[in-house]
Amino acid sequence: MGGRIPTRGSRRGQRARGQRARGQRAGGGGQRARGAEGPGAEVAGPAPRGTGAGRARRSRGGGTQEGLGGGELGVEEPATAAVARAMSARNLGTELDLSWISKIQVNQPAVLRRAEQIQARRMVKKEWQAAWLLKAVTFIDLTTLSGDDTSSNVQRLCYKAKYPIREDLLKALNVHDKGLTTAAVCVYPARVCDAVKALKAAGSTIPVASVATGFPAGQTHLKTRLEEIRLAVEDGATEIDVVINRTLVLTGQWEALYDEIRQFRKACGEAHLKTILATGELGSLTNVYKASMIAMMAGSDFIKTSTGKETVNATFPVAIVMLRAIRDFFWKTGNKIGFKPAGGIRSAKDSLAWLSLIKEELGDEWLTPELFRIGASTLLSDIERQIYHHVTGRYAAYHDLPMS
Amino acid sequence: MAATHAQRSTREIFTTLEYGPVPESHACALAWLDTQDRHLGHYVNGKWLKPEHRNSVPCRDPITGENLASCPQAQAEDVAAAVEAARTAWENWSGLPGASRAQYLTRLAKMIQKHQRLLWTLESLVTGRAVREVRDRDIPLAQQLLQWHAVQAYTQEETLAGWEPMGVIGLILSPTFSFLEMMWRICPALAVGCTVVVLVPPGSPTPLLLAQLAGELGSFPGILNVINGPASLGPILASQPGVQKVTFCGAVEEGRVLRRTLAGQGAELGLALGAESLLVLTEAADVDSAVEGVVDAAWSDRSAGGLRLLIQESVWDETMRRLQERMARLRGGRGLDGAVDMGARGAAAHDLAQRYVREAQSQGAQVPWPVVVASPFRTAKEALAVANGTPRGGSASVWSERLGQALELGYGLRVGTVWINAHGLRHPEVPTGGCKESGSSWHGGPDGLYEYLRPSGTPARLPSLSENLNYDTFGLAVPLTLPSGPEIGPSPAAPYGLFIGGRFQAPGARSSRCIQDSKGNLQAYVAEGGAKDIRGAVEAAHQAAPGWVSQPPGARASLLWALASALERRESAFTSALERHGVELKTAKVEVELSARRLRAWGARAQAQGHLLQVAELRGPVLRLREPLGVLAIVCPDEWPLLAFASLLAAALAHGNAVVLVPSGVCPIPALEVCQDMATLLPAGLVNVVTGDRDHLTRCLALHQDVQALWYFGSAQGSQFVEWASAGNLKPVWVNRGRPRAWDQEAQGAGPELGLRAARTKALWLPMGD
Repeated sequence: MGGRIPTRGSRRGQRARGQRARGQRAGGGGQRARGAEGPGAEVAGPAPRGTGAGRARRSRGGGTQEGLGGGELGVEEPATAAVARAMSARNLGTELDLSWISKIQVNQPAVLRRAEQIQARRMVKKEWQAAWLLKAVTFIDLTTLSGDDTSSNVQRLCYKAKYPIREDLLKALNVHDKGLTTAAVCVYPARVCDAVKALKAAGSTIPVASVATGFPAGQTHLKTRLEEIRLAVEDGATEIDVVINRTLVLTGQWEALYDEIRQFRKACGEAHLKTILATGELGSLTNVYKASMIAMMAGSDFIKTSTGKETVNATFPVAIVMLRAIRDFFWKTGNKIGFKPAGGIRSAKDSLAWLSLIKEELGDEWLTPELFRIGASTLLSDIERQIYHHVTGRYAAYHDLPMS
Repeated sequence: MAATHAQRSTREIFTTLEYGPVPESHACALAWLDTQDRHLGHYVNGKWLKPEHRNSVPCRDPITGENLASCPQAQAEDVAAAVEAARTAWENWSGLPGASRAQYLTRLAKMIQKHQRLLWTLESLVTGRAVREVRDRDIPLAQQLLQWHAVQAYTQEETLAGWEPMGVIGLILSPTFSFLEMMWRICPALAVGCTVVVLVPPGSPTPLLLAQLAGELGSFPGILNVINGPASLGPILASQPGVQKVTFCGAVEEGRVLRRTLAGQGAELGLALGAESLLVLTEAADVDSAVEGVVDAAWSDRSAGGLRLLIQESVWDETMRRLQERMARLRGGRGLDGAVDMGARGAAAHDLAQRYVREAQSQGAQVPWPVVVASPFRTAKEALAVANGTPRGGSASVWSERLGQALELGYGLRVGTVWINAHGLRHPEVPTGGCKESGSSWHGGPDGLYEYLRPSGTPARLPSLSENLNYDTFGLAVPLTLPSGPEIGPSPAAPYGLFIGGRFQAPGARSSRCIQDSKGNLQAYVAEGGAKDIRGAVEAAHQAAPGWVSQPPGARASLLWALASALERRESAFTSALERHGVELKTAKVEVELSARRLRAWGARAQAQGHLLQVAELRGPVLRLREPLGVLAIVCPDEWPLLAFASLLAAALAHGNAVVLVPSGVCPIPALEVCQDMATLLPAGLVNVVTGDRDHLTRCLALHQDVQALWYFGSAQGSQFVEWASAGNLKPVWVNRGRPRAWDQEAQGAGPELGLRAARTKALWLPMGD
């Protein structure tokens, strides 16, 4: 079985890439395709599959596939392609190979130096800055993860996701026809229904991501963690951000970690799996590398730095280590895994540094929403503020820009 | 129109996500050049000096070729004017309390801070180096240098008691060295009370600007003078009266030529040659981080020279793949662009790179462009052998996550600086220098200060140039030994042999020379050593050296103490040997007693060498190690035949050197007597004593490429020859220029100067973190 998986994966991957080339991304280029099919198609899909099933002809594959064993083998082509509209081809994972992590040693001081350099070495200004910032918007997983979230603020968030930058500003920059939206909205499991509903009402195919598996600490029973994933998927989440069990990393139980993530992946079914490593709690950069590699071997579609709830969040040194792991995994398997920094990314300037980091460490191919996301809540308003300044030459007042 | 263009651009960039230009305005630099009417002069005595009728060299933008300004080339009289200004300033400056100099240096640091934009744009504009590198690294470091050295000046009276400033210092910079290299050297010189004349290649206005900033502080014009001119003016600068030391930064061959030219001149010579570096990448390395180290070392506008890369065979492919991947992302371009890794450089840098590549290719190494020479190794031991098997000894980095292996390599590399898992870190507090052909001058840290100090009371250096000294024939012929009159009384003891490899041996020449006592009577026969004997002695010393180095200081100390006891036990024998040479009994007794004391004192000092530095930006320590020079040749003075011998020997051995000594010519017997004790006490070959014609032996030692350092106490001519001949392997030499030393005085006979010269420093950087 292990031998067949990569073959299927690569075939599927090609198809998915082709699909991307034609249809572009979910929120962006996809809109044109959507327009062609008419708004009717938009609402016809069965609710449980959420946006991934937006197109009528693909609903066939949806609905039933999130069953336990269905993950790798039972998936029908069209359903895969449907998700591929939002994301890269699924990562089928590999057999656990501990030799990929046994020799690794990450030198922390050297990585810190690199992190310091990379932030100063690539600046972008003027039109380049504006274009990069707009691009950064399309990478944002617009997030609200608060105890006081209700359907009203989730609804507002979804609206902001659909219209992240004021239309007149986009017109001034001549990018108003690019269908600029954020990459996804990200909420707690209990708010998934609200988000799906709100987005549907807004006529948008932006995917809804849900955190799961006892977010943020992950200190609940495996059974409930798996159930949480299934419920979120049932509610229409097409991307699941799971947290790993840090205990397994800190005690070096790599097989157990692999098995757990493997089960998360099965529970996700067709939904994409983003694995949060909670790097602030892993103890060392070497552990970060190892956890990244295990998560990718186990079939994560994305690896994500942090929950945003740890004391240390997305930092450059951690990102460098994770990106190197992603590159190594790509060199070993040919699979491109996505990267999502989250937590503490608040300023437009930060987002530019993150973009250049991806460009430097992995290359332009990774600069697409299928392979790069930024988990953030307040970043978007700062970017909009900068765009406002770029277009008008003035600094925006608080009331000039709509809140999210 | 412009607006629509911009909009279209944003749209395009949104798709391509390319980098754009981030130009840094250089209006500031041009405006400064305009204040000089685009005609730069020299900056001497706090004023611009713009003499008429000089050949001008254009200062060009290395990318556009645009002529930015013209620089007049200095002539001898300009050099003389600069030195005269520095000498006048020195009288005042050197007499100031350290606190006042500290205040001045602090003010200069503030001045640099105020004008940093001008400095970085000007430097980037004329050199083509990436502006980011100058702005974020060089300028802050220049300020740190001034501040750190201000602190040193402040505490000078206390911490550097017994030392005094040398005088006027000449500094010669070749084109590939940036203004920062100048700062590294003028800061300690100014701090300790010297004044400086800097000779920069024409077309480098940044040092001139710095001199102007210093001059505009007003209080002390003339302490920093900068003149433009070719390096060929070096000898003229060195021969100006009052110049006590010349520091040269440039290529190895230029350094060699200068060393020969300045033999016997008044000024001492400090050399900092080449800028090549070495990177050893083991299989236990974090390869990605090591690749970043390669980038730092070779393609970051930090290093002027090339990089030698040694990669363990088992990770060769992986490293090459990562290196190529990383290289593909490097951006070159105009230095004034804020988003490039490397600025396009001038022709000089290109020529240097070409030369380095040719050299490497001739040695059969692979050369990925630009200027990284990579070769594989199998084991750490082999890496060490390969790395040490070159004449270069500048800096190196070791990449290994195994602490034991990293330290083994770090200690074993014969270079001035070793970084573990990092490359190119620098800090004012950490001494930087080299060994072998990289020159043995230091900058930064305590070692940098001693470069411009001499023990208090040392007379100023004057030229002792002997015009008619023929280097080709000096000491070439071995004088013939003929019977010298009748042997009176009972035949003297059997002739002494040469003490080589732990035992007395017959000389290769199979002839002996007779030693007469103070009354002219024959006292003894000693062996007439020659070139072959020197070769044997050096070989024996090399064999003994590794064992002695690995002895802990405690073990070295106990052997020196044992030797001292042996000396004391045979006090009467030594006293009578000295008496036969006309030394009074009382003095002879003092000499023997003092000799034993010196051996004990250096033994005790061997325990406390090297120390730990804590550097601000680095978590983890920097070790300042004091390592032996290797095989040290010592030509002892004629006077104080036992005391001088014992003092020099003790200092050398305590610091871990293996030694080849030439004892006093008139009275070699006490030294040979000590050899009898050493034969039983010390490891064979550690100390070798060769008697014979001093000029001839000096010639053999000075020209020997495998002698790592040479101390010469003899004639002025001999000193000059030693300086000239040391250009061969650029060994550090210490000569007395025909002046006697007061060996019985503590300062001259056992002062810190000996300790300083008997070992070389190595800085070992140990960043920590997990």
